[in-house]
Amino acid sequence: MTRERFIDLVRAEQEPLRRFLLGLCCGDDALADDIAQDALVRAYVASGNFLGLSKFSTWLFRIAYNCYIDHCRKPGREHAALESREALAVPSGDASDSRFRYQQLYQALERIPEKEKVAIVLFYFEDKSIKEISAILDMPAGTVKYHLSSGRGHLKQYIQL
Amino acid sequence: MSELEQYLKDHKPVVKDDPTFLLEAQRRMDAVSGIKGEVDRQRRHGRRALIIALCAGLFLGVAVSAIAFFYPVNPESVGQGILDSLRLFLQSYKEYLLLPTALIAIALALVLFRNKRGSAWGAL
Repeated sequence: MTRERFIDLVRAEQEPLRRFLLGLCCGDDALADDIAQDALVRAYVASGNFLGLSKFSTWLFRIAYNCYIDHCRKPGREHAALESREALAVPSGDASDSRFRYQQLYQALERIPEKEKVAIVLFYFEDKSIKEISAILDMPAGTVKYHLSSGRGHLKQYIQL
Repeated sequence: MSELEQYLKDHKPVVKDDPTFLLEAQRRMDAVSGIKGEVDRQRRHGRRALIIALCAGLFLGVAVSAIAFFYPVNPESVGQGILDSLRLFLQSYKEYLLLPTALIAIALALVLFRNKRGSAWGAL
């Protein structure tokens, strides 16, 4: 795949990709964009291996999810994440209304297990089908459905409707 | 749709419009273009080596099968040397020779098919 072709494909996918990571990072947009950049670089280096056997977005989201997992495994991540959440918890300026609106959701997402969180984010925020989620997370469709159901059950405990 | 599902649909995260995002991504891509070139070169080399190995395997498999089938060995008249033992071994198991040969042919076809698809993507 040529560089131009890759950038064209990325241009169409950048917003869903950033939104996906924003959901996973529970509203930390700086971190989400940093992981997205990392994912794009990795995808670019590996773009020769992409043979079009799956959708480009599925392939890209899978790389992005792996980057997110790598980030989660980094030592010292808990401390940095806590600082980041504290910064988010103090609303300021124009972004305050938006953050307040999402605060309950992000706090709930932060409390549920990772697999459930990623299944919820892909299914409800990105409108991905079970089959696509199954390909992105490399798990059977039945397991994805289980995580979705379990995630909904957990979210109900933390979100006041 | 339950109340929770509706809530989730209504609360899709909104990303900030950032025109510098793609520019920054392109800048990082430029920085790793050397690495990408090396990765692509190694991938091409690996694929070429695999195709050569599979072709050699296919040729050898066909040749050995042909010898085993068309030039049968008489067990009474062979000696005790390594070559004679090998001929006798092939004679005894000649019907199983076709299986690995066929597997190699299938693997080669798959690799060539994937290569063709890869080239088609490159041309896009």
